[in-house]
Amino acid sequence: MEYFDTVITIVGYEDTQEKFDAVADEILSELGEYHRLYSIYHRFAGIENLCTINELVNGSHRTVKVDKRIVDMLIYAKEMYELTDGMVNIAMGSVLSLWHDYRELGGDDPAQAALPPTDKLKAAAQHTDITNLMIDEENCTVTLTDPQMKLDVGAVAKGYATEMVARKLEEKGVTGYVLNVGGNIRTVGTKPDGEKWTVGIEKPNGEDYLAYLELNGESVVTSGSYQRYYIVDGKRYHHIIHPDTQMPAEGFTSVSVVCKDSGLGDALSTALFCLPLDKGIELIESMPGVEAMWVDEQGEKTVSSGFSDYVKE
Amino acid sequence: MGDNKKNNRNKIRNDIIFVAVLLFAAVVGILYLFVFRESGNTVKVTRGGELYGIYSLSEDITEDIHTVNGGLNRLVIKDGKAFVDSASCPDGICVAHPPVFRNGESIVCLPNKVVVTVISENDGDSPDIIA
Repeated sequence: MEYFDTVITIVGYEDTQEKFDAVADEILSELGEYHRLYSIYHRFAGIENLCTINELVNGSHRTVKVDKRIVDMLIYAKEMYELTDGMVNIAMGSVLSLWHDYRELGGDDPAQAALPPTDKLKAAAQHTDITNLMIDEENCTVTLTDPQMKLDVGAVAKGYATEMVARKLEEKGVTGYVLNVGGNIRTVGTKPDGEKWTVGIEKPNGEDYLAYLELNGESVVTSGSYQRYYIVDGKRYHHIIHPDTQMPAEGFTSVSVVCKDSGLGDALSTALFCLPLDKGIELIESMPGVEAMWVDEQGEKTVSSGFSDYVKE
Repeated sequence: MGDNKKNNRNKIRNDIIFVAVLLFAAVVGILYLFVFRESGNTVKVTRGGELYGIYSLSEDITEDIHTVNGGLNRLVIKDGKAFVDSASCPDGICVAHPPVFRNGESIVCLPNKVVVTVISENDGDSPDIIA
């Protein structure tokens, strides 16, 4: 499965189908551009993207001149690293690509499914220092100074791209839309009658809702252990890898973050999935306009102090 | 307040709500599906980006969907719920997905590019979007 290879849903209110088509086309075309720039798995003719930044030429990474949208996102991702005390680290590509490869193999042939060997994971973890990601903002260039490091922006880029597209819509005065880009939900304005959007957050078993939220221009992003996984010897291994252990983070089945900025929501939902509950609560309570809901492996729900303001009565 | 809410709801019903669901694959955005929310309790199935079929949730059926990559997803509608009974995809995530029946719920098989979405009349209790 490719990153960004996900389902996108657009719901909008317009008087005519033509008007909706025009806005939806614009949203998809913008998301397509971000997808091509942020893909770590595919190259596209004529553009430098994260895939070409990651590739080695004669044993080392090139200094690559890239689109400003890549530079801006990488700078944002570095800020998220600082904010989350390293729980969101886009320099973990070497570790995450091992998990990706083993997950793909295990998915293709469940009988052969295996975990990445610990020695390989530990060796890869030696090459995840984000300070080796050099960004020259003025000249729009990016260099990875450690030849064995790789970028993986899975915890940030989808939410960041969603946010950028939503802001562009807002600047144009568009209202009455909601985007769902692979679980990154971003509302753009209210519905035409002024009512808020209702968002149902599904339980991991899909049988019921964890919560009904009412949103008015905000985002909600959920990270869940049930979203992407594979099975080895009867045990599920999900895709959110803890930076300290290089293993799937334990403790929660789902964490949802409500805030204005979908990029922030995306990064924080991943970070909270990896942080112990008390540290996570501390982080969220220190940030105005950000609320969260944790569901642990026993199904126990915890919410931050202002979360109930968004819950539909 | 109650009357206002009712009026608003009627207004919503009178509006046409378009929903576009698409599989955003590596190279091309694949499918585009527009529906009217007032279409009753149905599921829409798209295959490789194209509309494949519309089925009533009130009628039990088994439909073998031959996918664009030569695979197969078997859609079953039983007792008002739709689920994927078996599939040729490697990960089996669509088969593991619980049956869907609420407005907006969907089952997605990314490898086979099949999407099953429930489209129902909004009864006012259904969310606008599901995460």
